[in-house]
Amino acid sequence: MKQTFELRVNGRVHRIEAAPDRRLLEVLREDLGLGSVREGCGIGMCGACTVLLGGRPVSSCLLLVSQVHHQEIVTVEGLEENGALHPVQRAFIEHFAFQCAYCTPGFVLSAVAMLEREPDPDEQVLLEYLSGNLCRCGSYLNILKAVRAAAQGRRLHSS
Amino acid sequence: MAMGQSVPVRDAEARVRGTLPYLSDLRLPGMLVAKIVRSPFPHARIRRLDPRPAMGIPGVVAVLTAEDFDRPGAPRLVYGVDRKDQPVVARDRVRYVGEPVAAIAAETPEAAEEAARVIEIEYEEQPAVFDPIEAAQPGAPLVHEDCPNNIFLHTRLRHGDLEAEFATADLIVEETYTTPPASHAALEPHGVIAWWEDGHLTLWSTTQAPFVVQETLAEIFGLPPESVRVIVPPLGGGYGGKGYVRLEPLAAALAWKVHGRPVRLILDRFEEFVTLTRHAVCIRIRTGVRRDGTLTARQVEVYWGAGAYADITPRLLRSAGLVRVVGPYRIPAVHVDAYGVYTHLPPAGPFRGTMSFEGAWAYESHMDTIAHQLGMDPLELRRKNILRPGDRFCTGEVIEEAFFLECLEAAARCLGWGQPYEKGKGILRRGRGLAVMMKSTLPRSRSECRLILRADGRLELHTGTVEMGQGAHTALAQIAAAETGLPLERIEVIGPDTARVPYDATTSASRSTSMMGAAVQKAAFRLKEEIRQRAAPLLEANPDEIIVRAGRVELQSRPEIWISWEEILRRHGLETLEAHSVFETHGGLNPETGQGIASPHWHQGAGACEIEVDIETGKIRILHYCAAAYAGRVVNPALAELQNQGNVVFGLGQAMMEQIVFDHGQPTNANLSDYPIPSLRDLPNELISLLLESPEGNIHGLGEMTLPPVAPAIANALFDAIGVRIRDLPITPEKVWRALHGDEADIRAPGQRPCPSDRGCP
Repeated sequence: MKQTFELRVNGRVHRIEAAPDRRLLEVLREDLGLGSVREGCGIGMCGACTVLLGGRPVSSCLLLVSQVHHQEIVTVEGLEENGALHPVQRAFIEHFAFQCAYCTPGFVLSAVAMLEREPDPDEQVLLEYLSGNLCRCGSYLNILKAVRAAAQGRRLHSS
Repeated sequence: MAMGQSVPVRDAEARVRGTLPYLSDLRLPGMLVAKIVRSPFPHARIRRLDPRPAMGIPGVVAVLTAEDFDRPGAPRLVYGVDRKDQPVVARDRVRYVGEPVAAIAAETPEAAEEAARVIEIEYEEQPAVFDPIEAAQPGAPLVHEDCPNNIFLHTRLRHGDLEAEFATADLIVEETYTTPPASHAALEPHGVIAWWEDGHLTLWSTTQAPFVVQETLAEIFGLPPESVRVIVPPLGGGYGGKGYVRLEPLAAALAWKVHGRPVRLILDRFEEFVTLTRHAVCIRIRTGVRRDGTLTARQVEVYWGAGAYADITPRLLRSAGLVRVVGPYRIPAVHVDAYGVYTHLPPAGPFRGTMSFEGAWAYESHMDTIAHQLGMDPLELRRKNILRPGDRFCTGEVIEEAFFLECLEAAARCLGWGQPYEKGKGILRRGRGLAVMMKSTLPRSRSECRLILRADGRLELHTGTVEMGQGAHTALAQIAAAETGLPLERIEVIGPDTARVPYDATTSASRSTSMMGAAVQKAAFRLKEEIRQRAAPLLEANPDEIIVRAGRVELQSRPEIWISWEEILRRHGLETLEAHSVFETHGGLNPETGQGIASPHWHQGAGACEIEVDIETGKIRILHYCAAAYAGRVVNPALAELQNQGNVVFGLGQAMMEQIVFDHGQPTNANLSDYPIPSLRDLPNELISLLLESPEGNIHGLGEMTLPPVAPAIANALFDAIGVRIRDLPITPEKVWRALHGDEADIRAPGQRPCPSDRGCP
């Protein structure tokens, strides 16, 4: 039985007609056409479907639409400002922090969430926030470089 | 200069924006979704299959079964790129858990799933065999009735007088090594969209080999190849798992039954684990050596457990399966026997580092066992025997570009090999190990390229090379820019699309940057010649009085007289100017003797590492890892580095974590929780990538070279640390702990014992 849910996605309110057990992943990807949200494992292990829920990185394959009614969701599509890439996205390009890039939106969002809370992350914090995302191509060293650079850039910018 | 520059990959912005269109992002009007009904048994007869209940589900458009094949006007059921042994869907018998039995096309995923649930199938279970050694014994259950002993191919390499050379040895060492099935685990699953219109088939597929898919489907449907069009979007990783032909026959047959509407098939993670795996392998290796460390003879017997269908294994066994298991050493006598064996497991196929991974695991661990028994330094033993330029390999071919020693020494030096280091104390012990490998690429394969100069001054590079994250399209564009002198921004890469781009064998075996790169160079040369010829009348000069420069052509004697490429096209009234090229490699081995040319050039890599092992838990931590590859001429240093790092990270998973565990043919860990792949937490504390460059050398593909040494380097370091020799991958903490405690209990799952080391290969 379909019900109506209201989601605030990337700053815009969407009314969704969906069964309460429809996964957030499908709502974002299929119903709202947000292609950056991708299924990798379907069980919350790989992080390819990461979105920010109230600023926290979560696996959208593990959430039902009925659990996120009225909540605030950000995907990579929502990071740009006036068409300009987010500094974390720019750092990923600059530091060659991806190969096939299937995992990249998830990593970018985890890094963005981390920098909101931990502007000066040490290695432990980096591991804590980023080890929930998997990169099968093995670009991890460059991902770390990119995220460290983005953190540094942000600190310079704000000081 | 585009060559040698670290330019970002071509669609970098789309990649970080999440807008790169992978197959799952394509939407076609009227597209249906497909679902496969799969076998729950490793071996069974299908007694009855009734698709009618599925047809009754609202939204179901078609149900495909074996009954739809081999009738007039219908597709052929059985296919295979080498042995024709695999049905598109099972007919009377299923041969592995997960084998497709039927397929459903429906309006919605829910309808397709419901239909898959209600379809009626009665099975009668049959005896099954999972271990390639057991499968090769007389009396074992047969996977295919026409293949006695389940051995579908036996290839041989014969070099030198084996017995005489063993007789000159002071010491003979014999060991058995095994590697289990593993999953490629690309984060993007396999996917296909198939669409029939007016007798023509269009496929969008996540394949690494669009032209092989085209050829195979043309054969299945009895069509000329040009009636089958294969388009490949960017891939979210491949690693060999998307090589050759996978889901395309099934998706195409289902779409054929639907006719007129596109059908989309995308696998879930469980299905990924039963679609293609790494081989289950047992290698017995026996080596004769003199007291001074000189190798005299080597005998290798390899059982390649290929699963239920031969797939690409026969082709691999005729070359790779022989030459990738010997090692980069000068050995007077070498015999290799490679067996391709059917079992009741999912099919096995190419896997990043194919056959070199298994080979190096055995021969490089084995080298350390020999060094230990001789009381010699492992580096010294290798140095004494390693192939040097001008040496003859056991295939009879002379190795000209030999940098094995340089790779090995670079890795060893980077680690500080031979210098004192903290050996650890208490429960944490440290050790060091190294390994080297040689890997062939494909002999007898072809890459073609077309360059099209447009009147607007842009250059189209038409290629069948698949972009799967390795950066091949960027590297090819850089080569085209370097050869034509055009700025990189003016080069557009088109393809793969079999209707638009010329032939390419496959994107695999680290061949693309090297072979397609050579094709691009050749086409660029031809294009410039064409431009010269066209410019001559316009400049009122002979072609040989003209110099072709970047984007312009000038008179040799009077450089101030020139004409732009665009102007040449305009003045001739041409929309485009084209140049086509073919680059081929030759050679191949005699499968009875293994003599001939195995590879146009050799991939060479080494690794050295220091590890720390916790003797209470068996847990290994990699402290330092140095990976050295012979890179030749580097096109894009940042991307080359990234490939090299990726090799080590991928290799760490294979070495220490990954194994598909089958229990009587049932995969028990077919998900990314029970089958972990490396995360950031599994990285070495320090990972150093070393690329040995040679600006005058050839261009090499770098996506595999340093992967095969990872597992033996770690195992050798473990032996150095605590004197424990692990011979069965992966090197899990439990295995280390049990070995350390003399616990001989077999900790592998049932059906997961390709070759117990206490028994040895027959």
